[in-house]
Amino acid sequence: MSDAGRHLTRILQGALLALGLALLSQGAIAVGPGPEVCANCHKENVAYFAGSVHGQKGTARGPASAGECSTCHGDGTEHVKASGGRGAGGIKNPGGKSMDPEEKNATCLSCHSGGSKRTHWDGSAHQTRGTACTSCHTMHQPDKVLKKLTQPEVCFTCHKQVRVEVNRTFRHPILEGKVACSDCHNSHGSIGRALMKRDSVVETCYTCHAEKRGPFVHPHDPVTEDCSLCHNPHGTVADSMLKVRPPFLCHQCHTPHGGNVASVRGQPGQAATNIAGKSGVNITQARGCLNCHTAVHGSNNPSTTVPTPQFMLR
Amino acid sequence: MNTSRKYLVLGQTVAALAVAATFGPAGAQEASIAQLTEPGKEVSIGAGIASGNEKDRARWGMYNGLRKDDLNGLFGFGYNSRDPASGKWMSFEGRNLGLDNRELGYSYRQLGDLKFTVDYDELVRHDPRTINTRLSGAGTTTPTVTLLATPGTGQELNLEQKRKGLTFAFEKMFGGNFQFEASFKNEEKDGSRLYGKGFACSQAWKDVGACTGTTASAVLMLPEPINSTTRQAEAKLSYMGEKLRLTGGYYGSFYTNRNSTLTPTISGGLGNQNGGLNAADAGLSAVLAQSMVLNPDNQAHQLSVAGNYTLTSHTRLNFKYAYTHATQDAAFPVASGLASGRSNLGGEINTTKAQLGFSSHPMSKLHLHGDLAFDSRSNKTPLDLYNGTYVCSPGFINGRNCVTAPGGAVPFPNRLGMYTNGNPSSKKYDAKLEATYRLPQNYMLTGGVKYEHEDFGTWTPTDVAGGVSGLKQKLNETSYRVELRKVVSETFTGAISFNSSRRTGDSPWLQPVNFNVAGGTGVTAVSDAAIYSRTAIFPYIYMDRKRDKFRMNGNWEPMERLSLQAFFDYNEDTYTAPTEHGLRKTKGNNFSLDASYAISDNWKANAYLSRGKQTRDSGHSTGYDAIVTDTADAFGFGITGKPSTRFQVGADLTWLDDNLKYKQTLDASNTSAVNTALINGGGLPDVKYGLLRFKLYGAYALQKSSYIRMDYIYNKSTFNEWTYNFNGTPYLYSDNTTITAKEKQVVNFIGASYVHRFE
Repeated sequence: MSDAGRHLTRILQGALLALGLALLSQGAIAVGPGPEVCANCHKENVAYFAGSVHGQKGTARGPASAGECSTCHGDGTEHVKASGGRGAGGIKNPGGKSMDPEEKNATCLSCHSGGSKRTHWDGSAHQTRGTACTSCHTMHQPDKVLKKLTQPEVCFTCHKQVRVEVNRTFRHPILEGKVACSDCHNSHGSIGRALMKRDSVVETCYTCHAEKRGPFVHPHDPVTEDCSLCHNPHGTVADSMLKVRPPFLCHQCHTPHGGNVASVRGQPGQAATNIAGKSGVNITQARGCLNCHTAVHGSNNPSTTVPTPQFMLR
Repeated sequence: MNTSRKYLVLGQTVAALAVAATFGPAGAQEASIAQLTEPGKEVSIGAGIASGNEKDRARWGMYNGLRKDDLNGLFGFGYNSRDPASGKWMSFEGRNLGLDNRELGYSYRQLGDLKFTVDYDELVRHDPRTINTRLSGAGTTTPTVTLLATPGTGQELNLEQKRKGLTFAFEKMFGGNFQFEASFKNEEKDGSRLYGKGFACSQAWKDVGACTGTTASAVLMLPEPINSTTRQAEAKLSYMGEKLRLTGGYYGSFYTNRNSTLTPTISGGLGNQNGGLNAADAGLSAVLAQSMVLNPDNQAHQLSVAGNYTLTSHTRLNFKYAYTHATQDAAFPVASGLASGRSNLGGEINTTKAQLGFSSHPMSKLHLHGDLAFDSRSNKTPLDLYNGTYVCSPGFINGRNCVTAPGGAVPFPNRLGMYTNGNPSSKKYDAKLEATYRLPQNYMLTGGVKYEHEDFGTWTPTDVAGGVSGLKQKLNETSYRVELRKVVSETFTGAISFNSSRRTGDSPWLQPVNFNVAGGTGVTAVSDAAIYSRTAIFPYIYMDRKRDKFRMNGNWEPMERLSLQAFFDYNEDTYTAPTEHGLRKTKGNNFSLDASYAISDNWKANAYLSRGKQTRDSGHSTGYDAIVTDTADAFGFGITGKPSTRFQVGADLTWLDDNLKYKQTLDASNTSAVNTALINGGGLPDVKYGLLRFKLYGAYALQKSSYIRMDYIYNKSTFNEWTYNFNGTPYLYSDNTTITAKEKQVVNFIGASYVHRFE
């Protein structure tokens, strides 16, 4: 199709959409054949539609009270005349592969653009990478996104690394359906990095870990900057979902104590001095650096009694 | 096929086991159309039995509610009432009711008009390790530490953190263009988590009176009580006009800790890891008995407005403004020796976020979008004297520092170094512009640029930076992105992209004054050439960074029944600062291959294979380098099928193998005799984690209104980590507390449920 043709098509689509909305606002007027016709070939799809939210006539805003199948699939008159077939008669299929993602999304957004959750779809990582609503949502079979237990399965279709990470020992209870991707991410767009639901990493984490918010007498700057500097919330093999085990994590920013190398008790050649005090063992095993610097998210202790607690000691 | 709807009504909601990662590579649980769309009333009653004991189930049972007991009830129900004519939907569901992660949910909807939900949710995190100790009062605010004569002979503790949440949510449409949303969540947390305290005496600490001797040290395991309440309330009003969509709202978050301090009592002497008793040091015991302050109460209130506006038929704007006022004014539970007289911090932080973006199609083939964002964190917390440090005679505390102490040597107890909390205020500015052009054959070419400026604020002149060599006030980062994407195809879609960014300092390095001057406060700007030595370590968030990312993925469907997907990414961060040490480089790559195949209309299978490798390379200031590498291989396979109209089966296999290497090498500057440990010990041993999980389920329709479901799960977790034990030698806390976990944990689980559906 030429540019002019495409442009004209868009204008027509827009006009049709506007007309459709105007009609919707006045009451339900179906365009093209209805479910009883479509069911002749698409029995399962129509059956599901009838039982789904979209198929309920109790709301004037739903497709069932408007154009029914044609609300999303367009006028199927020619499609029926052509005896069906993929794309035959100009039938639209937002769940198929031959439709442009923007066009698919326009279909859904014609009803679902309002509310508080999709104000920032435009320009979001998903929108600009060509993700369609139907890349994640299904209208004619159970929508896995809507169930916490099955939602990650959909997200893992693209986010492969996370699929591995959630199987590691130290993780959020994602596998058990107690935490879902959408508890932290707004896949429809936000102004935060990684589509954070509350617009920043720290504010999103505070929704479940509010005790870390502070501010504290003795703050630890990374805590207010970005939790993911130290933690990988999808799962790691280090306690507390730390990205790397202490002391290696801490030594990325902080000068280590003395000339100790990381070591573990029971290694060959361990002398008594290597397993006491600020030794290689005590900075490596158990909680590592946190064995002493325990209040690592911040301490609210203003004591001047030695040792003073400014190094997160207590 | 009508049969499936009539007879195989597989109740995903009520009978599905969330006990072992119910979803797998195959998405092995397929709910029927009828179950999810038609009104249903069903009850699931069953039981599950797991092999082994709590230690065998430690990793598998962290969250699934099946760690503690061999036999568990599996109960659930669903009550759904739907009236298509009126659009009134009501549901009441319960899941995992016999377990400690139970859920109850009630929902009432008038479609397109009103929605009201109530959800009750429990979750227990069982610590995957078992503690052996003589500690009494674990989990309270006043535990007593008593030396265990022989490690491993004490009582066993399994720490638990329990959350109970109750959420109310309400939505209402009105006036045709308005929607009101409100929610409130109350969550109670109880239990305790692994925590502790440690201290090492030295000559310096003896000189200032903290220790009696110079060599004693101790590390204690002290569970932290987490009994607290978090409440969140949110209300939003949205307007949906023809061109303007607007949402304004309030969000409040309130944290209340039911405890303020953790104060251990040290009863008697403490051991040491050499096997004997620590040298008697009353000072050390007193230090360890000092109160540890628990997280203080805090509150946050946010007002926000967000929306989008259709400017023209081709251009839309979106925007957001949010203002957050956060406070922390909990009374100090401990304030010994405090000079200021303050009874609380008076913490106040006001955060402002503002964003304006656009999305436009100036030509049919061209899409542009851009963003401007501003993020300000204004710290209004008053400054006051909260900390004391001690200036000593030359050769004592940080000997090098004392030599240059202002005013010469001042012995204890004279305090010169009283200093304040910090309250820097930061600002961030972002600007992004991206263009996508549609090429022939549905290829999309994207190019983008992003600029970020971050100003961490002026360092408080009376504060002290601890443990870092340098700070930075301002950073700039510029990023570029290019991507080629194939869209709209029946057989192949995919993308290849490259991101590159460069972060540089926009201000000189700031040297903490206390690094060279005992008791000194604040920071001094120093040139790169003059700052410290070549062994300094700078926080990597301030270092110059070169970041490159490459990513490609493809989806190929060579035939209707077969789908293949390949993914590869590579990322590399290189850090530089005026030192030879510190974090130098991180890099990683991930590869995965997925396949999905519909064997027939009734049988589907899929599988994946992946490998990921992450490496961090750091140079340590004391003369050794560490390169930490984590390589993870994973494989998954799943299949679902319907052998008959009454019978449905599924199976999942997940295999994961994590290998970690901690390579430590001495550099030329290292002459310390202590590092002979590295030579003699051979460095840190490798660590391996393994997971093999197999799940099999079957559901058989007994009659139209009932079915039985059987689940079998095999879960094997293996590891050889040395966190608390190496090769049979335990890490010993100073009261001989030990922490253990079985290195090979195998669980066989069988569950059976009867589901009855009321017509």
